Amino acid sequence: MKEVLTFLARRSIQGIFVVWGVITTVFLFRVISPTNPAQLMAPDDASPELVRQIEEDLGLTEPIFVQYVNYVIGVVQGDLGFSYMTNTPVLRRILHALPGTLELAVAALLFAVIVSIPLGIFSAMYRGTKIDSTSNLVSLGGVSTPNFWLAIMMVLFISVQFGLLPTSGRPIGLGEATGLLVFQGDFGGLSSWVAHMILPTIALGTYFMALLFRLTRNGVLEEMGKEYILAARGKGLPEPLLMYRYVLRNSLTPVVTVTGLQLGGLIGGSVVVESVFAWPGLGTLFIRSLNVSDWPMMQGILILVGAGYVLTNIAVDFVNAKLNPQVDLA
Amino acid sequence: MISDRTRTSLKKELRSNAVATIGVILLLSMIVMALFAPMLAPHDPTDQDSSRNHQPPVFFGGEEEETTRMIDGEIRTVTESNVGSMTHPLGTDSNGRDVLSRTIYGARTSILVAFSAMLVSLVVGTTVGMVSGYYGGNTDTVLMRFVDIVLAFPALLITLAMIGVFGSVNVDIPDPLVVSGLVSGRPTHLTVPITITLAISSVIWVWIARVARGEAIAAKNEEYVIAARTMGMSNWKIIWKHVLPNSITPILVLATIQVASIIIIESSLSFLGFSGTNLSWGYDIAAGRDYLGTSWWLSTVPGLFIVVTVVGINLLGDLLRDALDPGIQRGGL
Repeated sequence: MKEVLTFLARRSIQGIFVVWGVITTVFLFRVISPTNPAQLMAPDDASPELVRQIEEDLGLTEPIFVQYVNYVIGVVQGDLGFSYMTNTPVLRRILHALPGTLELAVAALLFAVIVSIPLGIFSAMYRGTKIDSTSNLVSLGGVSTPNFWLAIMMVLFISVQFGLLPTSGRPIGLGEATGLLVFQGDFGGLSSWVAHMILPTIALGTYFMALLFRLTRNGVLEEMGKEYILAARGKGLPEPLLMYRYVLRNSLTPVVTVTGLQLGGLIGGSVVVESVFAWPGLGTLFIRSLNVSDWPMMQGILILVGAGYVLTNIAVDFVNAKLNPQVDLA
Repeated sequence: MISDRTRTSLKKELRSNAVATIGVILLLSMIVMALFAPMLAPHDPTDQDSSRNHQPPVFFGGEEEETTRMIDGEIRTVTESNVGSMTHPLGTDSNGRDVLSRTIYGARTSILVAFSAMLVSLVVGTTVGMVSGYYGGNTDTVLMRFVDIVLAFPALLITLAMIGVFGSVNVDIPDPLVVSGLVSGRPTHLTVPITITLAISSVIWVWIARVARGEAIAAKNEEYVIAARTMGMSNWKIIWKHVLPNSITPILVLATIQVASIIIIESSLSFLGFSGTNLSWGYDIAAGRDYLGTSWWLSTVPGLFIVVTVVGINLLGDLLRDALDPGIQRGGL
C-alpha cells in the first residue's frame, strides 16, 4: 500500500509539471500568434480608441509576465477565460462539446479492443493459416488507411448506396437517450444514438484496432514460445487455462501501454472524423475556433486534452503494475 | 555508416520476403510519380473545362446529352459527352480537371512534405536524443521533460494549433522539369507548404529523440567510447564519430515507419482545409465529398493512392525491423 502511495505521489508531481508545461505552451501560442483579439472583437469601423479600450478590458495591455501569471491562476481555479467570438465562458462550451467526443473515443476504444484482442489471439494460435494471413492483411490495411477516407468510403457504400445508416450528426446524446429509455420506456432515442454512432466509431477505431491486433498477435506469439509455457503444457494444463491465465496475461502489458498512449491519438483523430460526420464535439469546436483565431477556446481544449492524457498515463502505469508483478511501481 | 552486416541481412530479407518486395516497389513507384509528375501526368492538373466535368473513369459508364449553349453569340445545340474515356482514365472532377493528373501531382505534395518533415525531425530529434542520452544528468532531465510536454498533445491538435500561430506559409519554387523546357503546359511552380512541414516535424521529432536517447545511453558506456574519451577526444566528436554511427540503424527504422504517420497527418490537414496547396490528396478527397452521391471516384481515387503509399511504407518498415531487429515500438498518430 505504501508503495502504491509513493508511486501515485511521484507520478502526480511529474504530471503536474507536464500540465504546467502544457499551460505555458498554450499561453505562448496565444502570445506569439499575430492576431489581435481586440481587432477581432471590435466592429469593422471601430475607432482606434475603442480597440484600445477592448485591449485594456481583455488585459492585453499588461506586461506579458503579469498576463501569464493571471492566466495560470485562472486555469488552476478552473477559469479558462472567455471566447473571443461569443464571449461565453470557454469551460462551459468545452463541457458542452465534451460528451460527443468522449462517447466517440470510448466507443472507438471498445470497438478496437473487442475486435482486436480475440482476433490477435486467434491469429497467433493458428499462425500461418488462412485466418492468420487474412487478419494480417486487414490489419495492414487498417494501419494504412486515413480515418477520414475510411469514413467517406463507408458513407459512400453504406449510407449513399444502400441508405442504411445516417450520414452525419448527433441528434441525441447517450445520457439523454438513456433518460428517455428509463423514464419513458422509449427505445427511439437509444436506437437513434446507436445508428449515428456506428460509422464514426468504426472510422475512428479501425487504425487503433489494427495496431492493437498486431501488438496482441506478436505478444502472444512471443509468450507462447517461452519455456514456462512448454513446461505448463507438459504438465498437462488445459489449453484454454494456459492461454488465458498465462499467455494472455503476460502479453497484455504492451497492449495496455499502447491503449493508454493512443487515447490522445483517438482524441486527435476524432478531429477529422468529427469533421466528416458533422459531429458536435471538441474537434469541431477546435476547428471552428481555429478558423476565427479564437485562442481562449483552443487553449482550453488543448489544456483539457493534455491534462487528460497525463492522467490516463498514470492510470495506465498503475494498471500495468497490477497486471504484471514484474513491472515495478517505483 | 551502414555496415556490411546490415546490408547482407537486408538483402537476405528482401530475397526471402516477397510481400516486403511489393512494399518497396509500391513506395518507389510513388516516389517516381512525385519526382516526374510533370512528365507522367497526361494533362495539366489545374486545367479547368466545365464542358467535360464529372466524367467517370473509363469503363464506368456515363451519358451523352444534348444541351443548348451560347457559343460565339448564338445559341446552338451541342452534344455533351460524359462517357468515361481513355483521355481521362480516372475521370474528371467538378471543374473538369483530370483526376489522374491531379492525383499524380498530389503524390508530389505528400512525398515532399513527408521527406522534408522527416529530415527536420531526424536532425532535431537525433541531436536532442544524442545530447540527452550522452550527457545525462540535468541536461537529460530538462530535455526529456520537454519531450513529455510535447507528447501530451495529440499530434493533429498541436499541428493545427501551430498553423493557427504561424498562419499558412508556403513557398513556390520553380518546377525544374518545366522551367528547363523538358515539359510544357504544366504548372510552372511547385508549392512547398512550409508551415505544415514544420508543424508536423514539431511532433515527430520527439519519437526520434526518445529512440536516439536510448541508443546513446547504451553506446556511451561501451569500451570504444571510454577509450576515445581517455584519449582526449571532445564530447561532440565522440558523439559524431562513435555514438551516432552505432545508433543510426534503429533511428532510421523508426524514421521509415514515421513517414507513414506524416503522410496521414499531411492528408488529414489538407482534408481539413489547411493544405497550403490545392494539389494534394487530402484536398481532393474533401472536394469530392460534396459529390459523393453522383461522382464517387472523386474522393475514392486519391484515397486509394494514400493507402497504397502508406501500405508500401509500412511494409518497408516491417522489412527493416525484421531484418535489423532493433526492438523498437511503433509510435502512433
